[in-house]
Amino acid sequence: MEITRREFIKTSAAAATAAAVGMPLSGTVQAAAKEAEADWQWDKGVCRFCGTGCGIMIATKDGRIVATKGDPDAPVNRGLNCIKGYFNGKIQYGKDRLTQPLMRMSNGKFDKQGKFVPVSWDQAFDEMEKQFRKAYAEKGPAGVAVFGSGQYTIPEGYAAAKLMKAGFRSNNIDPNARHCMASAVVGFIQTFGIDEPSGNYDDIEYTDTVITWGANMAECHPILWSRVSARRLSNDNVRVVNLTTANNQTSDIADTEIIFKPGTDLAIWNYIAREIVKRDAVNHDYVSKHCVFATGPYDIGYGMRGTDKYAFPAENDTQAKELKVKLDKWEAIAQRKKEGEVVEQKHRDKPVAHWLISFDDFKKAVEPYTLDFVAELSRGNPGEELASHKEKLKELADLYIDQNRKVVSYWTMGFNQHYRGSWVNEQAYMVHLLLGKQAMPGNGAFSLTGQPSACGTAREVGTFAHRLPADLVVTNPKHRARAEEIWKLPHNTLNPKVGSHIVKIMRDLEDGQVKFAWVQVNNPFQATANANHWIKAAREMDNFIVVSDPYPTISAKVADLILPTAMIFEKWGLYGNAERRTQAWREQVPPPGEARTDVWQILEFSKRFRLRDVWGEKPVAGLKEEGYADGTLPDVLAEAEKMGYSPDNTLYEVLFANAVNKKVKWPDPVAKGHDNHTARALGEGWFPEKALFNEYRKFGVGHMHDLAEFDVYYRDDVRGLKWPVVDGKETEWRFNAKYDPYVKTGDFEFYGPALKALPSGDLDKPTSNEKTSLAGKAKIFFRPYAAPPEQPDENYDLWLSTGRVLEHWHTGTMTQRVPELHRAMPTAQIFMHPEDADARGIKRNDIVVVESRRGMVKAVVETQGRNRPPKNYTFVPFFDEAVFINKVALDVTCPMSKETDYKKCAVKVYKA
Amino acid sequence: MVEQLNQLDGIDVHHRDDSSGRIVITQEAEHIHDEVDGLKRIKALPHVVLAEMVYHCFEEDDELFEAVQPELNEQERIAVIPPYLNK
Repeated sequence: MEITRREFIKTSAAAATAAAVGMPLSGTVQAAAKEAEADWQWDKGVCRFCGTGCGIMIATKDGRIVATKGDPDAPVNRGLNCIKGYFNGKIQYGKDRLTQPLMRMSNGKFDKQGKFVPVSWDQAFDEMEKQFRKAYAEKGPAGVAVFGSGQYTIPEGYAAAKLMKAGFRSNNIDPNARHCMASAVVGFIQTFGIDEPSGNYDDIEYTDTVITWGANMAECHPILWSRVSARRLSNDNVRVVNLTTANNQTSDIADTEIIFKPGTDLAIWNYIAREIVKRDAVNHDYVSKHCVFATGPYDIGYGMRGTDKYAFPAENDTQAKELKVKLDKWEAIAQRKKEGEVVEQKHRDKPVAHWLISFDDFKKAVEPYTLDFVAELSRGNPGEELASHKEKLKELADLYIDQNRKVVSYWTMGFNQHYRGSWVNEQAYMVHLLLGKQAMPGNGAFSLTGQPSACGTAREVGTFAHRLPADLVVTNPKHRARAEEIWKLPHNTLNPKVGSHIVKIMRDLEDGQVKFAWVQVNNPFQATANANHWIKAAREMDNFIVVSDPYPTISAKVADLILPTAMIFEKWGLYGNAERRTQAWREQVPPPGEARTDVWQILEFSKRFRLRDVWGEKPVAGLKEEGYADGTLPDVLAEAEKMGYSPDNTLYEVLFANAVNKKVKWPDPVAKGHDNHTARALGEGWFPEKALFNEYRKFGVGHMHDLAEFDVYYRDDVRGLKWPVVDGKETEWRFNAKYDPYVKTGDFEFYGPALKALPSGDLDKPTSNEKTSLAGKAKIFFRPYAAPPEQPDENYDLWLSTGRVLEHWHTGTMTQRVPELHRAMPTAQIFMHPEDADARGIKRNDIVVVESRRGMVKAVVETQGRNRPPKNYTFVPFFDEAVFINKVALDVTCPMSKETDYKKCAVKVYKA
Repeated sequence: MVEQLNQLDGIDVHHRDDSSGRIVITQEAEHIHDEVDGLKRIKALPHVVLAEMVYHCFEEDDELFEAVQPELNEQERIAVIPPYLNK
């Protein structure tokens, strides 16, 4: 390109950047910028990557994306991007982009051991239908599954959930968001009776104190961190504290860094609660008006299988703890028991049960969590003096308690991917509620979301084994009735038995209970812990696995059929970010080759099945529900005919292209000249994404989850809206009378309806069956410290934690398109302390083996990196296929949320 | 700071706002990984609190696609399960 054109572009880019971040520029510079972009078309969009939900602008020319920039009008990021967001325009142009369906064949027929061969969409669906029918006939609704996603757009997730639940009557749809936010969701539902944060990102600009717990915001929510940094740097009074198990970049801006031992966050929260009580700093007015105290059982296991039948021999000792736990000296004090006591895990199947306790009992429960006890238990850096660690904990309590300080607590995977993740989420609210520092500007515990639409799609649409849209659950008959009404289904179509959560779907593949699985918008065979088990199950068991993806991921490689899928700006979509902001974008460019959207794939697949195939009597082992015969879903075809259906109607006609939806026409003026290849491929002149959104919206309107109408999100002056959107107005702080139209009485009302009638009891058990109503109140939970199930020992002597690094998203499928996997050297590093390396005869940049009871991988040693762990602790990011760390990681979950604890297991490291 | 930035390959400093301490630069690089490494280098400079990429222009890129090793070029070859998956 000639020099002048290049200089021109640079000037233009610099000018656009300056304008984006509000730096003043001369008129001539601005004019030059405009000229360089003269034949580009800019449209608003949302970043593909994390839960921050930055707004971006996308420029297209001649059917190609030519530039992107941070959206200066987006309140979330105000023109900034991070390095991942910066690449939004390029992610769809990797050379190994899938453009045709590929199926394992030999001799022209499907063969699970065959090589991948290009096939037509019809051939692909033919085989899918055949295999689905086989699995469904043999195993019923529990024999088929969908691996869903927190990266689904709203229409995609809604279509998938409706097809599975209303069509196939299966609850085996569960998203990768289970690995990400499930513990946070349990925390919300238990505490408030309704999902998602009360505050929003503006808390950052109002608050005096930012406490990050188990959240490396500098790398994982960089744009939010830039807002925190700006706040801190422009205000001497603001304090930032980073609680972490390893020094990381977030500590660079923090005033104080507290390094704690894995799992001891449970104890630190209780120390703070004890201080609040001891100093008489409880906000009695707030607590007496708006809160109650609660607790639950401690003997709930660790979410592992209840049998060692499938365990590799080395796994047996960890596996055994699922049934019996011998309390160490810390647990004994923390749980008011005796050291060495062996506790049978009796509440593995009912871990969520809880009951009311008195304030006196609460005080008694937190009493053991003195500064001495907690400091000694939690000190995570052996190189730090105990006195220093104590001082920091005391300062932390001071910051929370200071009446003149507003405080925001942020957390992500440190709390959620935790063997007691639901507990530690509840504890965050415990402290904020005790102090009355919740649901107001600058004050509140705020759960950060990892994925771009774990909130907007997975949680709000309900693509979970137990959920329906808008916080409804499959186990509640009133909820099922409401869904059946909106979806125009016969009574008892829906399956009341909770399906398999995502780790269980893997276990079901392993033991042959699931024989058909469809992977959509995620990479579960790379992302699920203890991967050796699942890879084997995919390749060796008698099952059929379909993967829809734009690129050949590990999941695609172990599958039987790969479907080429459209990427974000190749389709219409909406996402919902961590602060409840629903945002939308139009299709910018067409997908390549024969790639198609997930919505198209789901709708086309639904054409293959008729009501007679799915709405007859179906077996569901273990189903026991009032109004249903044991183990059976009833035949609803007779009632369907009364409703005007015919048994020959396809699921497409009934669930998707019904009369109401077909009235939503394509083309639509909201498109402003943009295309919709899904609508055109279906060829029936209706607008599926909009029609599905309109239908989904019905669940939330008037039910505390109100979304605005579709077209509103596409207006030029709108950059998303935070729900509930009532009378055109978004809600900034929920539960607060000043901001939330759903508050009817008092200055705060925690109106979430779930789990608001509880029995009462003491610290060990409920003592009466009578239930008290807690309408309008939030719960302050007491939860004890419990030790991690697998800790370093003589054989596996180091902690291993896994997670993300700034430039790579999740499993690298979008931000790592160069085939590093085939290089001689892996790129993902194991971050370790230089003395730990020395002690093992290892030097920086050596290749080492990282081995656990479950498997091993090789990685490159880094002792001077941006993640600086204390001694005895290592960290490996999970993006690199060639450093497949999930073979090593442990599939312990929080028993309540079923979310995997990726942050704690034991490994040994030695030179390769 | 401006001097240090100007000395880095592919970096041009365009605007500065001393009152807010913000500097606008452009970066040119051959490949995606060079772009990422370039940003990391800037973040590592002393006194840099925050460095983020705002505007990305690639209209004139000759090669939109990243180079892929020949053996991965044919779509059928993606079936080859890399050896490390089986160990």
